Amino acid sequence: MPTPYDVQRTDRETTLVIRGSLDINTAPTLAEEIDRIIASKPPKVAVDLAALDLIDSSGVAALVKLYKGIRGTGGAIQIVNARDQPLAIFKLLRMDKVFNL
Amino acid sequence: MAPTIRLTVPGTLRYRAIAVRVVAEAARLVSGSAQRDPDDPLSNDVRHPFDTAVVSAFMEIFNNVAIHAYKRKGGGSIEIAITPLERELVIEVRDTGSPFDIDEVAPLPAELDADALPEGGMGIHIAKTMLDEMTYEPGPPNLWRLRKRLAANQAAGAGRS
Repeated sequence: MPTPYDVQRTDRETTLVIRGSLDINTAPTLAEEIDRIIASKPPKVAVDLAALDLIDSSGVAALVKLYKGIRGTGGAIQIVNARDQPLAIFKLLRMDKVFNL
Repeated sequence: MAPTIRLTVPGTLRYRAIAVRVVAEAARLVSGSAQRDPDDPLSNDVRHPFDTAVVSAFMEIFNNVAIHAYKRKGGGSIEIAITPLERELVIEVRDTGSPFDIDEVAPLPAELDADALPEGGMGIHIAKTMLDEMTYEPGPPNLWRLRKRLAANQAAGAGRS
């Protein structure tokens, strides 16, 4: 089951849009894309979660990997538009402040 | 006695979405929340705080059983018994796989900054924090018992829009 996601790239920014459910079944597919994004060393990444309905700890781990990977290459990353269940999970894990949600 | 909803699925992640869907609908029976789009009953529409807590916790427990009890190989089943009461939901999850050592689960870091973000070990923490009660009895069968009460300020219909 592939994760529904889109990646839009410009010279200045890479935008990752994630939809539906990011979980233990779908995160591995996204992880491959995350590896590609990190390897391309973009100066700025935006992750749009407006259409993300559900997330579990595997999905969170995938986003943490992206967050650390981009910062590790000197890039900037913003996670935006988290809502409902995903936002509740980020708050529970106290990641909302780290991610500036 | 409240009726119990029983579902048995093979112990692999392939059947996770079916189980999550059933649990989400059972949570709605207690919370009174309505789906955003009644014409799309298969949408992942979990917004009410009660539904959010129940579904989030259950997803992690199902993951745990499939990964740790059945080692991602299946070979057994997961028996789920869901009892919706007037203001609470009780879920029992049984498996016949390997017991899980819940005492070995490390707590989250006390101080969380960008460098200390965990990349694993969050599942049990999520489940335990989301619920009012969570117990685990190693088996066989292994038994997870999850309980979530509807808070007074989460009256039925609070999630309607």
